[in-house]
Amino acid sequence: MEKYEQLLNMVMDFNESVRFAAVSDANGNLLWNSQREGISNIVPIEKTKATMSRSRGEWDDYATSAEHIGNGLYSITSYAKIKRITIPLSDGNMLFISVNNKPMKNAKNKSYGHLVEMGNILSIVEFVDSQNF
Amino acid sequence: MSRYEKLLHMLMDYEPTVLLTAISDTQGNILWNTIRDDSEIKIPLDEIKKTLVRESSDWINRCKIEDSDDLGRAMYHIASFEKVKQVTIPLDAFHMLLIYVDNTPLKKTKTKSYGRYVQMGKIMSIVDFVNTFEE
Repeated sequence: MEKYEQLLNMVMDFNESVRFAAVSDANGNLLWNSQREGISNIVPIEKTKATMSRSRGEWDDYATSAEHIGNGLYSITSYAKIKRITIPLSDGNMLFISVNNKPMKNAKNKSYGHLVEMGNILSIVEFVDSQNF
Repeated sequence: MSRYEKLLHMLMDYEPTVLLTAISDTQGNILWNTIRDDSEIKIPLDEIKKTLVRESSDWINRCKIEDSDDLGRAMYHIASFEKVKQVTIPLDAFHMLLIYVDNTPLKKTKTKSYGRYVQMGKIMSIVDFVNTFEE
């Protein structure tokens, strides 16, 4: 199994809130993707591809500021329904992960639920980092 | 003092790890900003201006996605780098908030990377603070 295919499977196994995971190349082209069984796409794959391409471009822009802010580690974009995570990989590829962003049942108000579960996301980031991809 | 100017000052008081705050219009022009003078991390003004233009454009894309892809409201964006975490939050249809937070690894953590991943609770509390901000 190709190493990134393996990474995607490991990410899906690692955390149940992951809905979709994919790896793009340095130009933002989709190379591999993995979709959780039983979960339907909110966004059509063609639109996700366009988002991945834009995200790759954002990381290229960030790289021009590395002298002042350091190298990029990860990004999180939160929408009401999902959070999107991108992680630049060492060989120029990029990992893209979509996770659920549903409010927690016990939270006092809705917005709080959207902001929490960051620990889960950071554990995913650390997990990817520890695999040395 | 304008409402948003007040927000920036409150953010600086609220969290010592906040290095810099700025509010831009949709073209990325700086309208208000604050900088923590005693910070060891210095980001040139030109760099901040460049970032605001880039992030404003990115937020326009995100808001288009919000409308077309049924993802719900776009809430915030965090980009983590070795030295700083960059947080952007749309305040209304015409204004974007940029916050730089110190991302120096915590001294007592076992590995360097871990230090960069923590302190997210503080950032979330900043986002919550901004979302609940009323004059």
